[in-house]
Amino acid sequence: MSGLVTVFGLAVTVGSYALSRAVARRYPSPLTTPVFFSTALILLVLVSSGVHVADYEPAKRILVFLLGPATVSLAVPLYKNRQTLLRHALPALLGLGVGSLVTLGAAVVLARVLGLPEVIRVSISIKSVTAPIAVELAPILQGNPSLTAAFVIATGMIGTMLGPWLMTVMGIHDPLSRGLALGTISHGQGTAQAVTEGELQGAAAGIAMSLAAVFTSCVAPFVVPILK
Amino acid sequence: MLIDVAVKTACALLAQLVGLLVLNHAGYAVASALHLPLPGNLVGMLLLLALLVTGALPLRWIEGSAALLTRHLAFFFIPITVGLIGFADLFLETGPAILMTLVLSAAAGICVVGLSAQMLGGRRRRRSP
Repeated sequence: MSGLVTVFGLAVTVGSYALSRAVARRYPSPLTTPVFFSTALILLVLVSSGVHVADYEPAKRILVFLLGPATVSLAVPLYKNRQTLLRHALPALLGLGVGSLVTLGAAVVLARVLGLPEVIRVSISIKSVTAPIAVELAPILQGNPSLTAAFVIATGMIGTMLGPWLMTVMGIHDPLSRGLALGTISHGQGTAQAVTEGELQGAAAGIAMSLAAVFTSCVAPFVVPILK
Repeated sequence: MLIDVAVKTACALLAQLVGLLVLNHAGYAVASALHLPLPGNLVGMLLLLALLVTGALPLRWIEGSAALLTRHLAFFFIPITVGLIGFADLFLETGPAILMTLVLSAAAGICVVGLSAQMLGGRRRRRSP
């Protein structure tokens, strides 16, 4: 019986994801991004079929198991874009390092000023780290992985929607800098957006996404406990 | 003939996936052995990068599986966001404050990265002939 529910959970997840990709291709919008759309669809199916969210746990474990090798794969785009990184090492490293610290600090301080509880303040601090790494980093900082995943995905959407316009208003026209900013703040979703602006933007965003995750993972265990 | 190719491709992808799983586990082992406060999968990523850069592992040995996984990265954390349903009340209560925090911190970060990289890049370009 429980095996059947697991198969059902997996099938619903795969089906929702496939459907969401098809929908996103036809109607591209922040509301049809695969993660948002699939999550809503899965919850709808689980609730309407009477399967308790707790019974979805085994299916979840199987998929989260594959998140590890998926994260390891992120080394490949970094390796492929190493020439771009070496050519622009100083602006790239300094830009993404300072920017990662600013966005982390701003998030924790704002959350505090707005009176949000500690579990949110910690979970929101790493919202610019790419999701597969952020959900692993969250427990290290005593945050909640599900909350962090939501903040990460929301940040991906916010940066993709707001970023290109904001940078144009601020006079940031240099393609490398635009790519770096999108990748540092909005990780995978920002990188996908940067690719549409051009090849250099895409490469810079890919580098920024991976390196900002490394950088934030290294500094967050020291900075977040002080700020929270 | 066609099935032959499909089976071969599937086997290659599976072997590559096992390789990536081994690297992932090695990452967790290294992180705990050295007491690094880093996610093991991130250490695994750095291990793979080191293997590629040193040429110990040719890119084509893992490229197929790696491309497939990174293309569908979003799929693997959908189950985690499903877990959000447990926080529905919290979101209803604190939604506007959370949204404000996310928007302002993202905007600050984007401006700082963009402006600092553009300034540093510009200076560098002026110096070089």
